[in-house]
Amino acid sequence: MNKACPEPPESSPSSQYPARLAAIVALFEGLPEDEKRETLISYADQAARCAPGKDETFDLEDVRKDEECTDTVGIFLKVNPARQVHLRVSLGPQVQILTKAMTSILCSGLEGSTLEAVMEVPADFVPRIVGGQLVRVRSQTVYYVLTRIKSACRAFLNRERAAEAA
Amino acid sequence: MNQIAYADPNVLVSTDWVAQHGSDPGVRVIESNEDVLLYDTGHIAGAVHIDWHTDLNDPLVRDYVSPEAFAQLCSRNGITPGTTCVFYGDKANWWACYALWVFRLFGHTNVKIMNGGRDKWIAEGRELTRQKPAFAATHYPVPPNRLDAEIRAFADDALAQSKAGKPLIDVRSPGEYKGTVTHMPEYPQEGVLRGGHIPGAKSVPWKTAVNEDGTFKTPADLDQIYSQNCGLRKGEDIIAYCRIGERSSHTWFVLTYLLGYPNVRNYDGSWTEWGNRVRMPIERSA
Repeated sequence: MNKACPEPPESSPSSQYPARLAAIVALFEGLPEDEKRETLISYADQAARCAPGKDETFDLEDVRKDEECTDTVGIFLKVNPARQVHLRVSLGPQVQILTKAMTSILCSGLEGSTLEAVMEVPADFVPRIVGGQLVRVRSQTVYYVLTRIKSACRAFLNRERAAEAA
Repeated sequence: MNQIAYADPNVLVSTDWVAQHGSDPGVRVIESNEDVLLYDTGHIAGAVHIDWHTDLNDPLVRDYVSPEAFAQLCSRNGITPGTTCVFYGDKANWWACYALWVFRLFGHTNVKIMNGGRDKWIAEGRELTRQKPAFAATHYPVPPNRLDAEIRAFADDALAQSKAGKPLIDVRSPGEYKGTVTHMPEYPQEGVLRGGHIPGAKSVPWKTAVNEDGTFKTPADLDQIYSQNCGLRKGEDIIAYCRIGERSSHTWFVLTYLLGYPNVRNYDGSWTEWGNRVRMPIERSA
């Protein structure tokens, strides 16, 4: 008998995202295409507010220019005793608007999540927010900021483990 | 002393010209960018947005839109066959030149580029607006055909060009040309299976044609680069290529309009087609 394979889900259930990020995903999913663009622009406009404050201190700072992005991106991480993350992100002027929007969304959506929860955020929320039309060749850097945030979390955890082992 | 001029000086307009004439009847200013949301964050007043991906490319097949879809695009942007279309955009006008080239594919002849593009407009402190203009729909007759044979080259054309030893211009970065990288700097997600260049192609990166501010170099400088250093001759069949056809549109514009070479074609399939296609000949150089 020919048994059809069950199709895998196209995207993760929203329950797999941190609550604040899930709320943002739900907001975008309910918007028509035009309003989605306008909302992305609004988030992009707020990206400068995600930059670290003048006197803020962090547990981990990772500022670099990678090939994957058109300008320098800095990730600043602070972890409280409950292992909740406070994120700040600095962006060079040449980064794409979608990258700016995603920075705002992630700073807001991941605020207060644990390190482990951030590490486990599936990237499939990106097309759910941005829509298939905008995720295309030449706009792939939209995934970049999440990758960098996870990389900073991983570096923090590795450092922590190394300190414990020492 | 011989003063060299651009072959068609009218095709290049300044930011000043756009500021003064962008709203004239019969003129439509068009922004085309790589950054997909850049237009939405602010654009020249009265400028419409043409998205290289969704407006100019077929949604399914790797090809341009049909003549019917092109006519609809023009109609909804208030463009008639007589409208002067002035293109500008980010990345030193890569996508503006690409959009202009696609307009030429459909036989729209009255086209111009704003020299220096969006960055120059902003650097001069000129205003942008977020207000999107609305124009009454026009009647744009469906073009009878696309000028694919005249200004566009396909892989087989490029192969024939290579075998015949005719001019092929590779406008990518030197690393891409040499085959030491299989993607453009800063675009690692656009890798191909093989690196190198089409046999016989000469390397003239698109950037050699522009100044630091994104404006085109002087006619004498361009003549030096393409005619004297590269050895291109007017009347020769010339094919330019890059990765997906946008940087080579820029060079196509330079050769066709600024230097007046009459037989230049843009191979828009470019390296993403050639470097992935089975059994295509590839050359690598040190």
